Order: sequence, then structure tokens, then C-alpha cells
Amino acid sequence: MSPRRDRGDELWAAVTDPTRRQVLDVLLALGEATATTLAAELPVTRQAVAKHLAVLERAGLVEGRRRGREVRYAVRPERLDAATRGLMRVAADWDARLATIKRLAESQEP
Amino acid sequence: MVPDRIEREIFIDAPLETVWAIVTEPEHVGAWFSDSAEIELRPGGDTTLTWEEYGSVRARVEKVEPPTSFSFRWARPVGAEPRAGNSTLVELSLSAEGEGTRLRVVESGFRELERSEEEKAKYAGENERGWEHELGELREYASTQMRPSARQ
Repeated sequence: MSPRRDRGDELWAAVTDPTRRQVLDVLLALGEATATTLAAELPVTRQAVAKHLAVLERAGLVEGRRRGREVRYAVRPERLDAATRGLMRVAADWDARLATIKRLAESQEP
Repeated sequence: MVPDRIEREIFIDAPLETVWAIVTEPEHVGAWFSDSAEIELRPGGDTTLTWEEYGSVRARVEKVEPPTSFSFRWARPVGAEPRAGNSTLVELSLSAEGEGTRLRVVESGFRELERSEEEKAKYAGENERGWEHELGELREYASTQMRPSARQ
């Protein structure tokens, strides 16, 4: 496998996780944020946010910059190319559809 | 660069038969997938998925093995007959897990879809729409997660 392909897989793994998509969403809304700030905005712990940020940083989707004692993260929008955005949407669509199927099934009379 | 398939799964606290009905019956498919659906539930069966906002998408049933396996191929753009190169394959697999059901979905064929420039602009590429749109989608998605009954 070529390094390019590996990079593609990594990018894909990075954006198909619902929590990581939320991290990207919040980062885009705030411009930049620390793991602590992100954890306050999301239903996950700071430790979990830090792990997701590490995956996103490895995939090149976010960049961390040290300011004093804290690291502030920002999205690298040029890395979110059209294909990635399209597939993020496909994954998000399926998550929403599966959630709807679950809700419908669990509300049926047995 | 573009992966050819996506895989998602969910655990549902309902029996296999209930989930099978929701996944395959037109009245339910018209609730979780499109706005309305017509499904001929047999291999090769004609299927039409209609979104009020976009129009009707043609699909063809590929596999029906109650209550564990259902797959169909849906075409883009609106109105096109599904064939190789203009469609993706959706495979839904159900398995009993304790009292509930594990539902897996695999959608594949994006790489082929990507080859067609027309489709690329309409579907996989989203070249004309920027992050503002994606953010809207993500927010909408996040809010449906938080308010499960909010779907119109």
C-alpha cells in the first residue's frame, strides 16, 4: 500500500467517528480551542477529547499550537477536501438513519 | 484516496422480526430513509424512494433473506435507472444479540460513483457547497441525536 493510500485510510477513520465529527464541528465554530474547552462543549471527558484530537492531528485535520501551558487546536480546512466532506456526510446520514430505525423499532409494541 | 465503502452499526433493543419489518416495509422505509417508498420485496424488485425536496430515486432490490439480510442498489441522480457506475449498494444485516438485534449497514461503490463527473458534482464531491453547508448538516445531525423525536 502506498503512503498516500494509508493517509486516505487514516483520514477516513478520523472523520467517520461521530464524536470526532462533533469535535471538528465545535472547533470550526470556535476557531480554536483547548481540550478542556472542547470537553465542556461535548458529552465526553477531557481525556476522551484528547484522544480524539490525537487521531485528528495524526490525520492532519487539526493542528495544535502551544500557548504557555496549554495547547490550542484549530481545524486545517484545506485537509477537509470535497471527497472527505461528502463521505462524512454519508456516514452522518447513516448514523442518523440507524438512530431512527432504533427509535422506531424500540417504540413498536412487542 | 476516497474509500469505497462505509460501515456503521447499531444495537437495537427490539426483536429481529420487528427490526426486519422496519428495515424492509415501505411505510417504515419512508420514515427512516426517504419521505415515502415503494418497494417490491424480491431480488430484482423495482423500488422508488421519494424525497419531497429532491424527487424520486430509483433503486433495485438485490437480496432478500428474511429476517437477516436485505440489500438494494440505488441510483443517482434522480430518475436514473440503477446500473454499474451510477449507483451504490446498501447492505443491511441483522443478527440476534441477547434480547435485541444488531443492525449493520455497509454502503459501497463510492469509488465508481466518483468516476462519473456528473455524479461527482451531484453526490460524492459536494464541490459547490462549502463548510457552511456541512456545518449545518452536522448541527442538524447533532440536534437529531439530542432530540430523537424531532424528525419531521
